[in-house]
Amino acid sequence: MIPFSRAQPVMASVWHVTLVRELKDLLGEERVLSDPLRRHVYGKDGGIRRGDVAVVTLPATVGEVAEIVRIAARHEIPVVPRGAGTGLAGGAVPTSPSVVVSLTRLTEIEVDTESRTAWVGAGVLNLDLSEHTAPFGLHFAPDPSSQAACTIGGNVANNSGGPHCLAEGSTVNHVLAVEMVNATGEVLMLGGDAPDPIGLDVRGIVVGSEGTLGIVTRALVKLTPNPPAARTLLAAYERVEDAAATVSGIIAAGIVPAALEMMDQPMTIAVERFVGAGFPTDAAAVLLAEVTGHPAAVTAEAELVRTVAESNHATQIRVAADQAERDLLWKGRKAAFGAVAQLAPDYYLHDTVVPRTKLVDVLVKVYEIADRYDLAIMNVFHAGDGNLHPLMAFDASEEGVLDRVHAAADEVARVCVEAGGSLSGEHGIGLEKRDLMPLVFSEVDLDAQARLVEAFDPNKLFNPDKVLPTGSRCFDLGRPIPEGTWI
Amino acid sequence: MGWVTAEAPRPAELSACVDCGLCLPHCPTYRLTGDETASPRGRIAAMRAVAGDLVPIDDAFEDMMSFCLQCRACEAACPSLVPFGRAMEGARAELTAQRPDPVRRTRHALLGRLVSTPVLLRLATRAIGLARRSGALRIVPSALRSSLAGMRDVPSTPPTIRGAVHLAQGEERGTAALLAGCVMDPWFGGVHEATIELLKRAGYRVVVPTTQTCCGALAAHDGDTRRARRLAVRNVRALQAVDLVISNAAGCSAHLKEYAEWAGDGGAILADRARDVTEVVAAAIADGRLPKLSMNRGAVAVQDPCHLRHAQRIVDAPRVIVAAAGYQPVDLTDDQCCGAAGLYSMLFPETSNELGENKAAQIRVTGSTVVASANPGCEMQVRAHLENWYSVAHPVELYWDAVRENETLGPGTDSRGE
Repeated sequence: MIPFSRAQPVMASVWHVTLVRELKDLLGEERVLSDPLRRHVYGKDGGIRRGDVAVVTLPATVGEVAEIVRIAARHEIPVVPRGAGTGLAGGAVPTSPSVVVSLTRLTEIEVDTESRTAWVGAGVLNLDLSEHTAPFGLHFAPDPSSQAACTIGGNVANNSGGPHCLAEGSTVNHVLAVEMVNATGEVLMLGGDAPDPIGLDVRGIVVGSEGTLGIVTRALVKLTPNPPAARTLLAAYERVEDAAATVSGIIAAGIVPAALEMMDQPMTIAVERFVGAGFPTDAAAVLLAEVTGHPAAVTAEAELVRTVAESNHATQIRVAADQAERDLLWKGRKAAFGAVAQLAPDYYLHDTVVPRTKLVDVLVKVYEIADRYDLAIMNVFHAGDGNLHPLMAFDASEEGVLDRVHAAADEVARVCVEAGGSLSGEHGIGLEKRDLMPLVFSEVDLDAQARLVEAFDPNKLFNPDKVLPTGSRCFDLGRPIPEGTWI
Repeated sequence: MGWVTAEAPRPAELSACVDCGLCLPHCPTYRLTGDETASPRGRIAAMRAVAGDLVPIDDAFEDMMSFCLQCRACEAACPSLVPFGRAMEGARAELTAQRPDPVRRTRHALLGRLVSTPVLLRLATRAIGLARRSGALRIVPSALRSSLAGMRDVPSTPPTIRGAVHLAQGEERGTAALLAGCVMDPWFGGVHEATIELLKRAGYRVVVPTTQTCCGALAAHDGDTRRARRLAVRNVRALQAVDLVISNAAGCSAHLKEYAEWAGDGGAILADRARDVTEVVAAAIADGRLPKLSMNRGAVAVQDPCHLRHAQRIVDAPRVIVAAAGYQPVDLTDDQCCGAAGLYSMLFPETSNELGENKAAQIRVTGSTVVASANPGCEMQVRAHLENWYSVAHPVELYWDAVRENETLGPGTDSRGE
């Protein structure tokens, strides 16, 4: 558990009292949380940083969201949107006392089965949407590991991916339009139901902007037909190199599996303890591959995957016999991060991208870095698209350990970028990666991005201090991060 | 100020949570409110804040802790294996110790004494019976009235099973002590009868020691730790020298399995022997000691009590049992709490009512008018929210009815064993 930096300051100032009163006039007593304990609870998301919350609001309509934004703008206090708080990059962590807008009550779903689309409230849970559309044989393709808990609003903010985004693409490929409250409290409609809307593609800019441009309250999403057949294979290896070679071999053979996932041994051990799915804990690496499509194609592709795995010295190949076994294998993969808590009370989950061909080199370096900083490390890897998730388990109550974790995380990111990879695959930049942005973007690039944010939000009302490092804009006027805001 | 009791949430329990949030969708109060502070992760964060001396145990903390149903659905969903139920009992113990409250104290004294004193419970049963028949129930507070709305029809002087000894039929496998329970004894005689008859046929000598008392689950969940300990210690003494200790109320069997926490080494021994009746009966059906009946009795909606499914992870047993009776078990849309949750229905009637309505709606869509529920509180809640043409019973009752009918009609339709 993370030790606390300090208690939330008692907000007894006049502006806070007025702000809270105005919000309560709008939403009622129940949906405005202003006591120190509840503010503290909202100070964190799924990551490891904690911030300052001035007041929490739970609006139920887009009109209420707009009104909250207007009130906050009048008080010149930042607005931080929040979904389920499962993000790992600190995207929902306020860096200075802010109005947190929890969007969890925007839960309407309107399905149009003819056009295979749905208008979805920002607070709808990812998996709820797919369960809701299951009777029509449809689902929402992006499937982050947190899909049982995370919201569509959060997916849109972070352009979330997941194991099945290898074949289907990440969230931006599945969002046709968004309804967004802007900095002046107006409601915009960006994009449309046409496949190629006219005008500038502002929707594409908003998806993945991590709540820095406005608050997305609804999204028009594409729904994907459920595949008529699916087969999940598990292959075990004595050497990580063989698993990596299998991944390259599968892609080279012309197959794009629906998902292609790798776990190293420490990760497999932790996962097996939770799900008991029979993951081989003595293997150096385990590969999970899923092929979907028409039954005949699935059988042929599964056979090909098996051949490639065998030729790369897989020691064990198991094909899930039924849906239940398939679900169990995926449950293991998706609970990987939480399962780590059995090893140590805290974890830092990294999210980087490496070229598939460089995986083994990078992994060796990652193990070496962890060793040097004396940290337990385990790895999950969306192998198909090169998205690496090294996970460091530690005990934050240990003196100085957080500094080591951050230093190691920095080095891992640098190694990945040097190998030709990228800073983030799907978790977003938030606070965690913000200061590493100059590794991949030039000053000119960052300035362009900063100008874009400014065009939407000149007063830095929305989720300030996220994504772009201070100084991105030439003549930066952004508010500096207060000393000691978080640990 | 931090914690002051030995039961307080422990550092290892709180640090086990990594804030991943996978519990959130499983939490009924989070589902209803969308509010992090009504979620398991939020509650853990609040406990940590108190443990770290960042906030005192104040109104906000009390509200957050009290609003939890203690259904433990979060525990079953937690990849980090956080013992949330235990930590929440600890937080409730702290509320009792640090927030003197006459209402809570009265509740502990009255209800605690009522459920652990059979004579008082019998008097209360008679009074409730009179009130129901005369219509005087209308004058009792609505929260209490709605909690009692789903009660079975109970004779004014119900029989007791305390003191009974029943011999095993056929080869004896061992002795099973049956927990008579608090309301189970006067209000759910049918469940006790089915339990005893089935255990006998499964090869157990069944004893019901008279010195036993209430299991203490209600007290433990409500922060009445002294009473919870006292009751547990008494039961450990009363239920010695048997092979199994069996309860037919899921809330009680779940609590018996946690007796190590409440009654030391003796408690640990009892906890090892504790079983829910559904486990024992399902095992006997599986190895042929109890018959599988081939008759088709239609569908039965299976309502999973949280303390069976989430606290004890018993999912298949009730389904195996009703299937052996000749029913087709039908799952409900989700496995969320029905809102009964012990005293919760009296403390938060609105939330309880909303969850009860959800559960009733899920049962209606199954199309079945028979519901199996393995916990008295859930049974009453479900019955209260359904129309009177639905029948709600314990899975072992449904099974025993079928077995008895089969025994009376003579064999021929049954297929004993495989």
